[in-house]
Amino acid sequence: MTGTTFREESADPRTQSLPLSHLSVELGHLYMEDFAAGPGRLREQFTRVKPWADAARVSLAGAAGVRRPRVSTCFLVDDYFTRFSSPAELMPMLLAEAKACGLTIDYLAREAGCAAADGVEPASLVEGRLVESPPVGSNGSRPAVREIGWLCNGERTPAAGGEAMSGATAWAAPVETGARRHSVFMDVELWDDGEGGRTWSCPFLAAVWQLLRLGLLRREGQPVLQAVPWGPERGAFPRDWDDLPPLVRLNASAAPFAAYGTFSVLPSRFLPVEHAVRLVLGQVALEEAVLRQTAERADREGFAVPPAVADRAAYAFYAEP
Amino acid sequence: MTGGGAGDGPEAFVCGEVRTCLLQTSASLPRAEAVRLLRLRSDEAVRFSERPNLYAVSPEVLTGVDCALPAATGSRVRAVGTVQARAVLTEGRVLQATARFSSPVSGPDRRLPWGHYLVRPGVVQPLGRLSVPDVAAGFLGARPAVPDRHAAATVDLGAIAERLLARVLGQPLLDRRAPFKSRRTMLRWFAVHAAAGQGPPTAEFTVAADGLRTLRISAAGLDAAEIAAFCEELALHDWLLTTLIRMIDRSRLGSTAGTEAVLALRPAVDHLLHLWMPGARTGAGPAPLWDGLERHPGFTRQWQTLVQRIRDQVALRAVPFRCQA
Repeated sequence: MTGTTFREESADPRTQSLPLSHLSVELGHLYMEDFAAGPGRLREQFTRVKPWADAARVSLAGAAGVRRPRVSTCFLVDDYFTRFSSPAELMPMLLAEAKACGLTIDYLAREAGCAAADGVEPASLVEGRLVESPPVGSNGSRPAVREIGWLCNGERTPAAGGEAMSGATAWAAPVETGARRHSVFMDVELWDDGEGGRTWSCPFLAAVWQLLRLGLLRREGQPVLQAVPWGPERGAFPRDWDDLPPLVRLNASAAPFAAYGTFSVLPSRFLPVEHAVRLVLGQVALEEAVLRQTAERADREGFAVPPAVADRAAYAFYAEP
Repeated sequence: MTGGGAGDGPEAFVCGEVRTCLLQTSASLPRAEAVRLLRLRSDEAVRFSERPNLYAVSPEVLTGVDCALPAATGSRVRAVGTVQARAVLTEGRVLQATARFSSPVSGPDRRLPWGHYLVRPGVVQPLGRLSVPDVAAGFLGARPAVPDRHAAATVDLGAIAERLLARVLGQPLLDRRAPFKSRRTMLRWFAVHAAAGQGPPTAEFTVAADGLRTLRISAAGLDAAEIAAFCEELALHDWLLTTLIRMIDRSRLGSTAGTEAVLALRPAVDHLLHLWMPGARTGAGPAPLWDGLERHPGFTRQWQTLVQRIRDQVALRAVPFRCQA
């Protein structure tokens, strides 16, 4: 071998790493109906969330033995499926109610930012990385099911009359891959394509949101969705959601947005959505370099990070009155 | 070293299938369009290099499989994992799709959660233990034409490569007017891990009657990516040679007088002759394999003979024109 090597920069990509907290705590997820119910609803929600958020911090220090836990909090506003109010109207109220309950919102994200933000489409990045868990017998000859926009955790019931000339097709039960004796089969709609283009489903955007919080998405090696500082010096909040960056940092001294793990405190009605999120997270093949960077950094800090990405998301579900 | 309970033992073999075809478009694609064509995922850039020739590589696309591995003896070992596929475009003219996977000799006894396989892109692990010679013989010997409907389906790398080609060729960027007729070629390859100290790597290249090419490689210190790149390059040159031979055949060179033959060969001069560059993309590991293939069957020798024939014809035809002028 000679010592000569020839390398062209464009043929050899690099992956950037992100600063990481230990935990990203989601304090809430605001939909139009919550907003319509008035500030009382927000106050109620924050009151319920507060003990859980505190517990997460305590548990981090206790169980993981982290001396100086880095915990950041975030709040998600749904401006993707329905547009309501405006940042100018909503933000002061939201921040005041959180403060009254003893909570600080470090970061605020717009759900539309999970679909498209700063010329990047996080949802389509994730879509491109979906690798279905193959049911037994998959030999590569079937087209990817992601072409139809549905993702499941096993094998579907065969379509009636699917095979020509086979006579009446007997119904067969769907099967969960790797089920413990009995199946919990789930089929998740990831998007639909209409005349106005593609609409991502709520569970899929929620999965993208988890991946963003886990700092695992990159586009051409560059981080996706960087937080834009938004302090009092910037004046009033804008009148249009589009004028607010998709991710803003409201607290100048906040720990990094992305974290080794996420913790979300949500009403029980989100349970099916988060089950779907888990299913999606289990079938996304993330960039090796990013996973390795995170694992190495956690290792240096002596912090345990589960290898499976789906296991990095934890929840507390509370009952609504 | 052992296979290990999690199936993370050393790779016993890596195998794949390459499909090579002419890009269905009238003019070869310039760099920017080549990059657009191969952008299979929005998060990862198309890699390209311009030396010694224009070469663009798509991001890898994974497909999950859980099926039997082929075996000559008919013993069916079930295996689970991901097959890695990519598309490669050389000089904006020749498109290739490769699907491949590597495998250890033994793996976990049962299928593990999918996340275990997702973090091992391009690795398919057997449930239990497999016999490498048996799988090699089954893989290289299997014919795509007559599938046995009753046997459990074995891993189909050809289908994955073919689907990728269709995805790339289906893009509106291409005008679908190829400058000449050509056929797709298929190369199926299987590289086994040889013990260290066994000397340089060896390769056995076979062209079967039905058009399927097979390549069996034995190399110490198997580098799956290097081997795959070598096989793509070999497939490219085999396709060039096959296409040129067919073109000369169709032009009826030597039996037709006048300029007909030369006109029929013109696309070769325009689109093919500058593509010949064996070894340009081969890494240090498999590089010695070219020496063997150049001795027998002697790719470059045959190519140069054909090219010389074409150039002589072109030169001969040029003479009378000049006299008339």
